[in-house]
Amino acid sequence: MPSDESWLDRFVSGLPETRVFQRLASWLLVPYWAWRTPVKPLPGGPHPSIQPGDNIQCMMNLIMPLKDKSPIGRAKAALAIAQNKDAIYAGLDNVGTVHFARFVIVGDNICMFSVYDGDFTNYIRDFIATIGGVFNAVVKLVEGGDAVTPCEHNVEAFIQWVHERDLYQVPDTATDLLRDQEALNGDKASFGHDDLRLLPRKVVLQLRANANVSLGSGYRAYPGFSAAQVRNQLGIGW
Amino acid sequence: MSTVFDAADVQGNILRGYRKPRVRYLILEVADRMAARRWFAASTTGRDDVPQITTGNWGRTKPETCFNIGLTYEGLRALGTPGSSLATFPNEFIEGMNARALKLGDVGPSAPETWPDPFGDPRRIHLIATIYADEVAQLDQVQQRALTDGEAFKLLGALEGCSFPKDAVHFGYRDNIMQPRFAEVHDGQRYEDGQPKAPLGTVLLGHPTNFEGLRWRVPQPEALGHNGTFNAFRVLEQDVVGFEEYLDQAASDLLTRPQIDELLPPGAEEKIGQALSIEGLSRHAALREVVAAHLCGRWRDGTPMALSPDAPDPKVDQANFDYVGNSRCPFGAHIRRCNPRGGQIVQRVANNSRRLVRRGMPYGPLYDPAKPRDPTKPEPERGLLGNFIGASLGAQFEAMSCDWLNLGLQDPRITGSNDPITGANDPGTSWFDLPLKSGTTIRLRGLPRFVRTRGGAYAFMPSIPAIRFLGSLMA
Repeated sequence: MPSDESWLDRFVSGLPETRVFQRLASWLLVPYWAWRTPVKPLPGGPHPSIQPGDNIQCMMNLIMPLKDKSPIGRAKAALAIAQNKDAIYAGLDNVGTVHFARFVIVGDNICMFSVYDGDFTNYIRDFIATIGGVFNAVVKLVEGGDAVTPCEHNVEAFIQWVHERDLYQVPDTATDLLRDQEALNGDKASFGHDDLRLLPRKVVLQLRANANVSLGSGYRAYPGFSAAQVRNQLGIGW
Repeated sequence: MSTVFDAADVQGNILRGYRKPRVRYLILEVADRMAARRWFAASTTGRDDVPQITTGNWGRTKPETCFNIGLTYEGLRALGTPGSSLATFPNEFIEGMNARALKLGDVGPSAPETWPDPFGDPRRIHLIATIYADEVAQLDQVQQRALTDGEAFKLLGALEGCSFPKDAVHFGYRDNIMQPRFAEVHDGQRYEDGQPKAPLGTVLLGHPTNFEGLRWRVPQPEALGHNGTFNAFRVLEQDVVGFEEYLDQAASDLLTRPQIDELLPPGAEEKIGQALSIEGLSRHAALREVVAAHLCGRWRDGTPMALSPDAPDPKVDQANFDYVGNSRCPFGAHIRRCNPRGGQIVQRVANNSRRLVRRGMPYGPLYDPAKPRDPTKPEPERGLLGNFIGASLGAQFEAMSCDWLNLGLQDPRITGSNDPITGANDPGTSWFDLPLKSGTTIRLRGLPRFVRTRGGAYAFMPSIPAIRFLGSLMA
């Protein structure tokens, strides 16, 4: 089919790819636009759901800036994990709902990624009850962590603090982002009346508000089973 | 924080049940802040004819009528509780029960959007006042006294419950057998049940909890939060006709299964008939009772499946049992899901951590299976007015609801299924396994939703000094 695009259309379409426009957009256009159209950060963690399959193998992605942004600070974080390795294994065993827990240092952040079953608050609360000391050892190295440690005496505040640092999980279906924005703003009116031309702009503004996100909620290579179901099936006790 | 515990500081329905046959809930909105504060101040002493709040220390004789209150977050706001204090309450309480619908399985026909008034507009529900008495006339009289000044509150609605003989509830089970026992409280009606005594922090803020070393945040100031607790008040409609029809359907289905003789050996129906004092009980009728017992974890007379899996037995201890070893109580049975006792569960740290005090009473007329139904008339609404009391709504009521009642995370053999009696079931996907002696199971399918939420609210039940504190608020 012959293109009926004029030279002007082609010029405008090509603009975002030009370096001048990209600089202009990131320095001026997006900040001005975000000022004009404030967007609240979306909450992190899995999307609330009643379906059993959505409530197992959930992801937690924490990115926590270290207080000490130097190789020494990073080394302290590495030591905090290494020194508590046995406690971490004991915690995983006793809490029973975690598939994997990973600690990663990226830049001056300590990241904690885990895959767990069931409700987020129950998962964190059970961990506080089991190995609260490990949380304390890590979180005291993190910006803002002093306010919620020791976690055993600040259970509700600690769970909230972790929840606030859990990354927003961008839905696989792009328009579902609009549903999340509506839910956050308590607005149900525009359901089904999306102006898809506005979607890219809304994504840009949202990713400005939530700079770090998880793309999707984790992609499974097999259907969702709980950690205990896997252990039971493998005959290794649960 | 005071270390000496005095039951007179605590509202009376928390640590012990009154066991009064009638209850009425008044759902109230604060109409005039100053008048409401005066009412609060008067309620601790019974001054100005305001009904006196019943405390945990009611002496040797139980009062003729008992009166207790719970405030929602909106209610605390309406009384003018300072913002700095409101911010110290837990999130789930601040958000309220309607906002927590997904965690509680309140979806589809149970969704808060379907709740009738006064629960349709939760912002207006400020205070839930509860009257317990022997007679309706007494309920009327206390209600009149509670609303006598005409200024403090607006009555949004009233709900009334009435107990049935032998502690029976709709669905025909004996209820109210078990409650947590507290070392600090003598309760003649609670005896040894094989479970550890519950620490006071199970139901009172400011005391050690079931999690060693963990304490819940006490809302500030201390005078407001200490010795208070939270209540999940629920209006739960029970579909008794649907339940009995499902028992029929399941019994007919089971009769066609090859393993049926393992579930109900030939002639075993006689033993069940004897226990139920029914002569010539058919295999189908016996199987209905077998299914009912498996779904609940108790035979309808209260006999625990854990102790007597083959037939009801009045000689068996109804309270003292556990789920250790090869217990024949189904892993997914209602009472086992709500309280796994000492049985193996996935979350090893959580065995006793989600226990609740339950104060419930049926509403609506008793269902009589012998009475023919008029299919042209709708069934009268019946159900349970339930109070699920615990010091942490999140760690107890919600944790039990979302991971244990629905989802079934506590045991890999039930994960992905919901509670057979109270769960958010859909006949298209629901299932329930009946364990057999051989170690295999028979799977029942097609369970509909038997219990539908028709209303509710999260309420804070303040201590007596806290009620005085609220009554003395200025500004």
